[in-house]
Amino acid sequence: MATPTYDAIVIGAGHNGLCLAAYLQRSGLRTLIVERRHEEGGGANTEEPVLAGYRHNMHAQYMEFFDVMPMIQDFGLEDLGLRTVMPEAQAGITFADGRPPVVLHRPDLLEATYTSIARYSKADAELYVELKQRAMKLEELLAVGLYNPPGAVPNAGSPEGVAMMLEGVFGDLGVAGHFVAKSPKMVIDELFETPELRALLYRTCVEWGFPIDSTGTGGAFFTFIMWTMANWKLAIGGTHTLAKAMTQACYREGVDLLENSQVERIIVEDGRAVGVVARGTEYRAERAVASNADLRQTLLDLVGADHLSPLWVKRAKAYRYGPSHVLGTPMFCLYEAPAYRSAKWDPDIDRCFYTMVGFDGPDDTARYIRDAYSGTLPKPAAGTWVNSLWDRSQAPPDRHAATGWYFLPCASELTAAEWEDVRRTYNERFLATWREFAPNMTADNVIAHKLYTPDQMERKNLMREGDFSNGEFAPDQMGPNRPFPEASNYRTEVEGLYLCGPSAYPGGGVHAACGYNAFKAIAEDLGLPSPIPADRSY
Amino acid sequence: MPAIYTPEWYESVKEAINAKVATVKDVPEGAWTVAVEIAGDGVSPYVADGDERRFLIRIERGQCEWYREIDGEPDVELDYRFRGPATVFDEIAAGLADPIDAALHGTVRVRGDMRFLMRQAELVQVLLEAYTAGVETTWPEGQPPYSADQGPSGPLSGEREALSA
Amino acid sequence: MRERYDAIIIGAGHNGLTLGAYLARSGLDVVVLERRHEEGGGLCTEEITRPGFLHNLHANYHTFVDMAPPVADLDVRGHGVEYVRPEVQMASIFDDGTALTVHTDLDKTCESVARFSEEDAETFRRLYGEAHGFVDLLLGTLMYQPPLSVKELTKALATFGVEDKSEFLSVKLRRETINQFLDQHFTHPKVKAHLAFHGAVCSYTNDVPGLAIGFPLLVGKIDNWHLCLGGSHRLAHALWRDLAQHGGVMISDAEVERILVDGNGSTRRAVGVRLADGTEIEATQLVASTVSVEQTFLEFVDASVTGEDFAHKVKTEVKHKDWSLFSVHLAMNRLPEYEAAAFDPDVNRAWVVNLGYGSPEDLNADWADVRAGRLPDPRPNAAVNSLYDPTDAPEGCFTGLLRQFAPFALADGGEGAWDDLGRWYGHKCIEAWRSFAPNLTDDAFLEWSVFTPHDIATKLPNMVRGDWMMGEISLDNMLDERPLPELGQYRTPVNRLYMAGSTQHPHGFITFGPGYNALQVIAEDLGLERWWRKI
Ligand SMILES: Cc1cc2nc3c(=O)[nH]c(=O)nc-3n(C[C@H](O)[C@H](O)[C@H](O)COP(=O)(O)OP(=O)(O)OC[C@H]3O[C@@H](n4cnc5c(N)ncnc54)[C@H](O)[C@@H]3O)c2cc1C
Ligand SMILES: Cc1cc2nc3c(=O)[nH]c(=O)nc-3n(C[C@H](O)[C@H](O)[C@H](O)COP(=O)(O)OP(=O)(O)OC[C@H]3O[C@@H](n4cnc5c(N)ncnc54)[C@H](O)[C@@H]3O)c2cc1C
Repeated sequence: MATPTYDAIVIGAGHNGLCLAAYLQRSGLRTLIVERRHEEGGGANTEEPVLAGYRHNMHAQYMEFFDVMPMIQDFGLEDLGLRTVMPEAQAGITFADGRPPVVLHRPDLLEATYTSIARYSKADAELYVELKQRAMKLEELLAVGLYNPPGAVPNAGSPEGVAMMLEGVFGDLGVAGHFVAKSPKMVIDELFETPELRALLYRTCVEWGFPIDSTGTGGAFFTFIMWTMANWKLAIGGTHTLAKAMTQACYREGVDLLENSQVERIIVEDGRAVGVVARGTEYRAERAVASNADLRQTLLDLVGADHLSPLWVKRAKAYRYGPSHVLGTPMFCLYEAPAYRSAKWDPDIDRCFYTMVGFDGPDDTARYIRDAYSGTLPKPAAGTWVNSLWDRSQAPPDRHAATGWYFLPCASELTAAEWEDVRRTYNERFLATWREFAPNMTADNVIAHKLYTPDQMERKNLMREGDFSNGEFAPDQMGPNRPFPEASNYRTEVEGLYLCGPSAYPGGGVHAACGYNAFKAIAEDLGLPSPIPADRSY
Repeated sequence: MPAIYTPEWYESVKEAINAKVATVKDVPEGAWTVAVEIAGDGVSPYVADGDERRFLIRIERGQCEWYREIDGEPDVELDYRFRGPATVFDEIAAGLADPIDAALHGTVRVRGDMRFLMRQAELVQVLLEAYTAGVETTWPEGQPPYSADQGPSGPLSGEREALSA
Repeated sequence: MRERYDAIIIGAGHNGLTLGAYLARSGLDVVVLERRHEEGGGLCTEEITRPGFLHNLHANYHTFVDMAPPVADLDVRGHGVEYVRPEVQMASIFDDGTALTVHTDLDKTCESVARFSEEDAETFRRLYGEAHGFVDLLLGTLMYQPPLSVKELTKALATFGVEDKSEFLSVKLRRETINQFLDQHFTHPKVKAHLAFHGAVCSYTNDVPGLAIGFPLLVGKIDNWHLCLGGSHRLAHALWRDLAQHGGVMISDAEVERILVDGNGSTRRAVGVRLADGTEIEATQLVASTVSVEQTFLEFVDASVTGEDFAHKVKTEVKHKDWSLFSVHLAMNRLPEYEAAAFDPDVNRAWVVNLGYGSPEDLNADWADVRAGRLPDPRPNAAVNSLYDPTDAPEGCFTGLLRQFAPFALADGGEGAWDDLGRWYGHKCIEAWRSFAPNLTDDAFLEWSVFTPHDIATKLPNMVRGDWMMGEISLDNMLDERPLPELGQYRTPVNRLYMAGSTQHPHGFITFGPGYNALQVIAEDLGLERWWRKI
């Protein structure tokens, strides 16, 4: 049989790989995606792993980039099945002693947010609303930053860019460049007096990969975090619907997609990537190979040190995974959605998209996060979702499907037997806590449950350490430094080989920016006609 | 008496068919083009081994309008195709093998709208009878069965299976 | 979502996708609406135990591969589907440690049968040969055509004078059970047990009168069981891809709630659908439903549209299977080593292994339990796809499946009782397996999950009462009588509304038949050119 030959091959059908492939094919390259799993989407994944009819987003939950994601518009994903809801109450924190919750509503309902925070502090309420309103105006700017290679535009993720934004947008509030050097926790503590609000914000920062104690990322609180905060959509049917719509776009463009085929090797000839070997079969790529797999796998396992310079080998080895961005996903099949003690103050907490359970205040939350980062199993607490409240398709009639996030240690911090034990016991421990916050969460209310742990994430998607960003977010691995300075801009030292996964700028999250920007880099190198509308600044 | 697969023979088959069909009531409207493909099997002397003899028959309102031998794939749209080893076709023409039986056992492969054939069983039966017993045929190169041990279920079946596979 | 399409198809199972892809290839603007978040319906592969273990929750065995025209017409293999036809297809292991194996090599199968009875082996060879000859014709005449009526068939067979040409064609079969057929032809109870099981697992329950007529097809394709590499869901992807590449769209999470009908009396016509979220979508040419008759005519369309008589018939005359399937899905770290390997080493390589049915009577006894809503002592069949699929489990691990005949509703507690009993019954199934393969100790399983008949109906409400064939398999629910005479030709009391799922002839299974046959009728009504006809 003749060797199958394409113009371009994309390794991995994560949402970034799908995005890249669709644009490549549209600009005229015959493109093949090779995916090791039987399903497309990688972290954009929804399954029924506990009981039939109960759906759980096993990775990504809230969709914060849909308003700006270019592919949605360019490929008409809304006609291909993508639909969303935006729950009114978005992020909340609830308490075991039944004191008022803090509930952040979506950006068009800031009066409600104000009311909720004002129960504790009018000043905090005013400041939060002010910051949020201003941050929302950053949308276009952030989009330009996200959907362009780092450094291509001044505002993209660079400290200087962020400082500029801060001055420009928040300067009159006294928010100045010096915040950039601080850690998110310092920023939050400085701005807000309400412990309950602080606890909620800590946790959300961390989810965005900005470790609360990590100095140098404080500026992102004003821009990125405040913009994404409580600005979340739920993909109807589950996050996987996005991957489905993207896949359908790929099919319609004519992309070939090979499943159940793990790439074992990138073929390098004369310093150039010319194809891949997957499940023993060779596939040639005449113009480009792009990898949605993580950095170390791509460079060290698939290319191999033989084809790399010593510097690149060193850089790849030094690249760090975790401990931020490592989560465990508990999944619960319920009769009733949780009914919180705190709801007597504000019933919205029972209909909140994302609810934090198990924390008493900021110290508690900070300790929880630090424990997880240091490889210790934290005392159980979680961010929780009951998506069936908004999307009836996610659970059988009169039932609910709940999913959560625990912060957990990196996959390698625990032994296989220890992870077994976590899977067996940790949910029960959390349920005991959950009951303190929501008394109806009795054993009888839980039909079944299951915990999906970082070691399993590593196995399922080859997300090393269970790190969903494919690499820690720290100043030396962010922005133009991602994954390392010589490899920024999606290009590698192997000619024709590109990075299109979260090891590249901007990193993890369902934004498809890694794939989109990688397309720009490839299109530039190959002189491809651009299918990107000229009147869009990104 | 025409010799098998000669123009005279085809003509006689046509006449036999038409005479028979004329006696049938309720002949369906419509026209069908049928290809017959007779594959040389190394036994029948009338089609060289590996060769094929193909002809088309056009049936309109039950009557045979025309027939012709063709080389290669038919250039007209077909409604049916019958294909099988030459020995079997020879035996059918000689009235020794039952065409329905051959079709049932997959020795002769039939493609086309089987539902229609089933619904028109009577007409089909008449056509087949005309083909199998309607013409007295001469066999200049020898007459089936070709040898005592090469009857319809003789050692040919292997080849038949290969052909019908 | 767009507001208007030429054709709306309800349900993205393999039948809906197949019909959609053909119509899209014919130039129609097609949307296939699917209730679940995944396309495929019965083509469902999920990692319900652990990451990397691919479990086929419904269809596991593809038995019409290369027989069904869509496989070639829609270039299923070109879209990446890889089929394996395991050499040792199936085995029956008996309580006394003996075993019978079915191979793709007929001689080997006959050798295995001959160890029980030489005579039976000869009979099997003869029937297999005969059935094999038929298969083509059967497929062309019966499966992949809108159905003839029993009357038409009888008449044709009589006209051709073939009733005596093969015992398979004898009218007598229409009165007989598979058990009776087996008694007339075979001598050894174990040989009969194997064949009876094979019939049953293909949904032709061995003790139901009339189902002997299905036997030739069953015997003819007894060795045509194919495994879809990487899980059955890959076939769904392939069909979806074909649809999308030809301009069609599949929308998941789009539960249809109403079919919109315009006009009344004989001019009433399906013009669109409404989704559960209220969205209305217009269909300018047709609506085709691949879901249940009950959903379509009791929920989607008002009785006032189709007539009270018809609605009443739907309520009272649509028949469902009286048994369902209970499954255990296992993540394993070793392959079963059967004690019966001492008798026939090939059992360890058999794709599917039936455990413990020593005679058709054993099966009959289980049917009696199942029909009464009782759980029989498990005699599951076990398949380890990883024997033949290197991609369906992590390295050094194996994906296992146990299936057991079971009632949908339990006499004690109805279908809801499964929620409590599932795990317990799963245990019993595993124990039954272990009694034949002692190396399957508890530590052989990293994790296992059950999938009960109740789960089937929860996941796919079109499988009413866990009826995985979407309609009883019985003589009076076949051909143009299936599911009701009014619906037998894929047309319905509403113009331009078609039935195209497994409720229709031929029946459930991954046959592609209902979708393909509905296509023929739709092509006729719409005057489409039949590019797919290859003569
Ligand atoms: C628990 C959890 C919660 C999250 N929550 C959110 C959230 O709420 N919002 C949000 O925006 N983001 C969230 N994320 C992050 C987000 O899911 C990921 O960052 C994102 O999915 C990464 O997308 P990707 O396409 O680049 O890579 P991936 O989704 O990781 O896809 C990579 C693909 O490549 C394949 N692959 C890898 N190696 C090979 C190989 N050798 N050969 C072939 N194929 C290969 C993998 O199988 C996979 O399909 C979360 C992640 C996790 C784990
Ligand atoms: C446990 C089990 C084991 C089986 N094993 C095998 C096997 O080994 N081999 C085999 O060949 N067959 C097997 N089957 C049977 C096979 O899966 C089915 O017969 C086949 O899938 C039917 O195909 P279909 O396209 O007609 O319907 P389905 O595959 O059921 O597709 C119908 C689709 O319609 C969707 N739907 C339902 N309601 C709505 C609505 N209101 N709006 C929109 N969409 C809707 C469903 O979600 C589904 O996707 C098995 C079935 C089960 C349950």
